[in-house]
Amino acid sequence: MKDVMVGRYIIGNSMIHRLDPRTKLISCTLIITAVLINYRWYFLLFYTLLITIAIFLSGIKPKIIFRSLRKIWYLLLLTFVFQTILTVGEPLMHLGSLTVTRQGIALGTGTVFRLLIFYLCSSLLIMTTSTIKLAAGIESLLTPLTYFKIPVHHFSMIISTSLRFIPTFIEEANIITNAQKSRGAQFDSPNIITRIKSNIAIIIPLLAASLQRAEDLAMAMESRCYTGHPNQTRISKLNYYKKDVVLIGFMLALLFAGVSFSF
Amino acid sequence: MSSIIEIKDLNFTYQPGSPYQRQALKNINFILNQGEFLGIVGSNGSGKSTLVQHLNGLLSPTSGEVIVCGVDTANNEFRNQLWKQAGLVFQYPEQQLFEATIYEEVAYGPKNLGLSELDMRNRVYDALEKVGLIPRETQHLAPITLSGGMRRRVAIAGILALQPKLIIMDEPMAGLDSIGRNLMLDLMKDRKQKGNETTVMISHSLKDIWALADKIAVLDKGSLVFYGEVEKLLGKTELLTKCHLELPDYLQVVYSLAARGLKVNTTIRSIEEASSEIIKLLQEAEL
Repeated sequence: MKDVMVGRYIIGNSMIHRLDPRTKLISCTLIITAVLINYRWYFLLFYTLLITIAIFLSGIKPKIIFRSLRKIWYLLLLTFVFQTILTVGEPLMHLGSLTVTRQGIALGTGTVFRLLIFYLCSSLLIMTTSTIKLAAGIESLLTPLTYFKIPVHHFSMIISTSLRFIPTFIEEANIITNAQKSRGAQFDSPNIITRIKSNIAIIIPLLAASLQRAEDLAMAMESRCYTGHPNQTRISKLNYYKKDVVLIGFMLALLFAGVSFSF
Repeated sequence: MSSIIEIKDLNFTYQPGSPYQRQALKNINFILNQGEFLGIVGSNGSGKSTLVQHLNGLLSPTSGEVIVCGVDTANNEFRNQLWKQAGLVFQYPEQQLFEATIYEEVAYGPKNLGLSELDMRNRVYDALEKVGLIPRETQHLAPITLSGGMRRRVAIAGILALQPKLIIMDEPMAGLDSIGRNLMLDLMKDRKQKGNETTVMISHSLKDIWALADKIAVLDKGSLVFYGEVEKLLGKTELLTKCHLELPDYLQVVYSLAARGLKVNTTIRSIEEASSEIIKLLQEAEL
């Protein structure tokens, strides 16, 4: 967990950073919906290209993105392998009792690209949006749900606090890992049972500390008069600009194009 | 005397090549001999904790050399075995307890050493006694039921039970009551008297380690601004003020007396010496 970069906001002032968080959330959802519905290769390629451009515009070093991709590399590989051998269709070659099919390869490549798009799209959202803005965006988008008596404000508070504590949690996990390593915990043992046992030595203290922290945080919030009332205001208000409207319109158009071409 | 820690041109950077890159240690050089007591002082964020994590192999230098117990920590295999010889007590170690009983908690390290049941028990009992807990009464208690100070003692016993050549403690006094502090001091005095046990202790205050330290290292923004005998630090008033280091109260008294031209011995190390020095002064004045 030494170089956890994904899921961390990277301070910046690029075009992507300055977009309204709601625009980014909506666009992200639209992209994911679009590639779920239509997975023709040119459509997926187009979206991959679009996200690559967005990454360049965001000013985040491609190196960081590539490094984070290493973490899901196995997932992508396994997905591809299973799709190629488990899809029924025109056989291309035989590997023992396994058959690789043309349809399998097509589906496998498509799924890998879809996963890649989900991953890049959501990491770009998290990396360019501060947790406060993200929570404000979610809250604002979910506001209509208050008509159904759903406590949207509480919901967004839960999201923002959990996001806020991810780095703290990771830092604490690192400290405890090091402390247990100093007592000889074998996290790199070839024996999987030993490795699992070693991890218990991290999980228990981490859980205990988190419960303690949650209690302290609740106390601290209450002692500063937090009551969970939804009418509390935020320091920075969210505003839609022309570029936000244009971007959402563009994404919607793409989605419609994707839906109509998929039939 | 043979050296137990040798550090040459140590540099360390956190997350190099990322937007969060930060150089934590700059050109650190020092040698510590076996049996000596090293106190590391410096303000928050000066790199103390980063430095000590190099001493038991948790971190390896970005550049430079760290030799502990005779072997270079650049060697991966050795670095992963270093915990057996260099025990590191982290800051707030009570947060790492996880076993169901105190006995199992303290025995975790020795168990990982692969000791026999009997050896293990001897070590656990010995370690518990050293931190002022009576083994027969406390070994079956759950660590969670104890107070913070008691839990810290258990955590420290967990490292003592490894019987390492070198013990490194990261702010062991932080948040302890006076009984706990005195216990820690006694524990370290005890180690010092044995002669061959080396101790490194981090503190943000000079007062805690003054009476014990043979050598003192002062870190400031990742650089080692002073390393050497305690007495040599005394003359460097400029450095002390710059790093916000305060001398123990009794030393401040003795120093201000000396500054007024009174004849006092300023090379004292404890409050007892200071009081006898002042009594002597008063008696001379009466004569």
